[in-house]
Amino acid sequence: MAAAAQLCLDDPVTTLIAAEHCLRAARHASVQGVEGSDVLLAARLTAGDDHALAEVFDQQASSVYGSALRVLGNGSAAQDVVQDVFVELWSHPDRYDPAAGSLRTYLVVLGRHRAVDLLRSELRRVARQERHYRLTPADPPGSASDEVMAAETASVVRTAVRLLPDGQRQVVELAYFGGLTCREVASVMGIPEGTAKSRLRLAMAKLETVLDRQLLESS
Amino acid sequence: MTAADRNLPIGLRERVLAASLVARSAGQPVPAVRQISGADSFGRAADAFYDLLCALDEEDWPKPVLRDLDVQGLVGHLIGVEDDVQRGLAGDPAVADAGHVESTQDAAVCQAGRSPARTRDDWRRAADRTLDLVAQGADSGCAAVVAVHGMRLPPPELLVVRAFELWVHDNDVRQAVGLPPSVPDAPVLRLMIDLAARMLPYAAARTGLAGPVDMHLVLTGPGGGTWDVVVGPATRDPEPVAIVTDAVGFCRLAANRATAADLDVHVTGDAGLAADVLAVASALALD
Repeated sequence: MAAAAQLCLDDPVTTLIAAEHCLRAARHASVQGVEGSDVLLAARLTAGDDHALAEVFDQQASSVYGSALRVLGNGSAAQDVVQDVFVELWSHPDRYDPAAGSLRTYLVVLGRHRAVDLLRSELRRVARQERHYRLTPADPPGSASDEVMAAETASVVRTAVRLLPDGQRQVVELAYFGGLTCREVASVMGIPEGTAKSRLRLAMAKLETVLDRQLLESS
Repeated sequence: MTAADRNLPIGLRERVLAASLVARSAGQPVPAVRQISGADSFGRAADAFYDLLCALDEEDWPKPVLRDLDVQGLVGHLIGVEDDVQRGLAGDPAVADAGHVESTQDAAVCQAGRSPARTRDDWRRAADRTLDLVAQGADSGCAAVVAVHGMRLPPPELLVVRAFELWVHDNDVRQAVGLPPSVPDAPVLRLMIDLAARMLPYAAARTGLAGPVDMHLVLTGPGGGTWDVVVGPATRDPEPVAIVTDAVGFCRLAANRATAADLDVHVTGDAGLAADVLAVASALALD
């Protein structure tokens, strides 16, 4: 009578009789082939079925890769996006809701968002780098004349910065000479982050105008 | 299908799958199921069964449940099981190979004419005593393996088997009195499935599975997960078969309260072999 009480090594004969009956009955059972339905795939991923992960990769990775490649134009970065997307799916399969749309759409949209984020991040990095090069004295060059020019440029930049209104000057000094982020600058100055950003934008616009003119005149 | 066929860079598939499995190991469900002890699983199942018995009306107790037993007789059977388990814990050889039904029939029959409340409370005390004895045994470090009703199991696993039986009979009673079925909480379910999956090779050895089968068992829903078990004789390389079904349904199958035909089963590989493995699972139960 007891279910599971037969989890034993010495089953009585009745177990064998029952098992043979079950074997016969089960052969008539309707076992279906694995369907690739998104609901089933999601349930398998949630259960930790790594075979399901491989199946989803084989079905959807090329779409995710192609979509990311179109946004980024860079195969290596697109591969990173594909990895991010599938690690995300495997780590948090419960975030995919089959009722909200197909798994393919979910993965492609996730990949596109990641690709756009990556692109924005890269653009910000390049812009920061360019501003840094324009506002920071270069490494000591080899020749005496180069050193003189660099010193002059640095002097021009610092003079231009000193001419900025106090609020803008402090932001530039903290961000570019102090190496702080906008959020850190805002925290140090006790102002909202949005205010720090807008002051920085205004300061940069003024500096670009002043420096372009002065550096052109000096060259 | 190769990477080139999918217009993917070579090595990307391997790299992505490896990175994924670093983030989360294969077989681990989401959300993770909290681990509990065998004693906890039995304690929870006993609490649930006791709550059910307390909720029954007087007229529910004489209702037929299984074979010739009414609800009260079934609870009596469980009192008899606890008595045998306690004798097994004490090392009594008389219960080692005693029949699960036959050995407890007297305890079941003698409930007739007693008040349901007394039967219920006697069973509760018996279940609590089993837990106490296992705890005392663990403290003293004795009884590595308990022999009872043909089983040879360490006490923690024996308590998981007991939790399994209580859940099954809980649902037997519910069906008899017209209540909706119950489902164990995920940690208990997980222990029950884990033990059943580990016992499949032994059941296959008894039932003569043609095998061998390299089974990838995926059980969905709370308490589910993934198990890889080789089932059947090691006469040749095992045939890979993947079986996907519902975790609770699998437990009902292992308890012989459902057949493979009742389940929504999805198979990769030889469907006939998969059916044989499911039959082996259902052979884990006697009744």
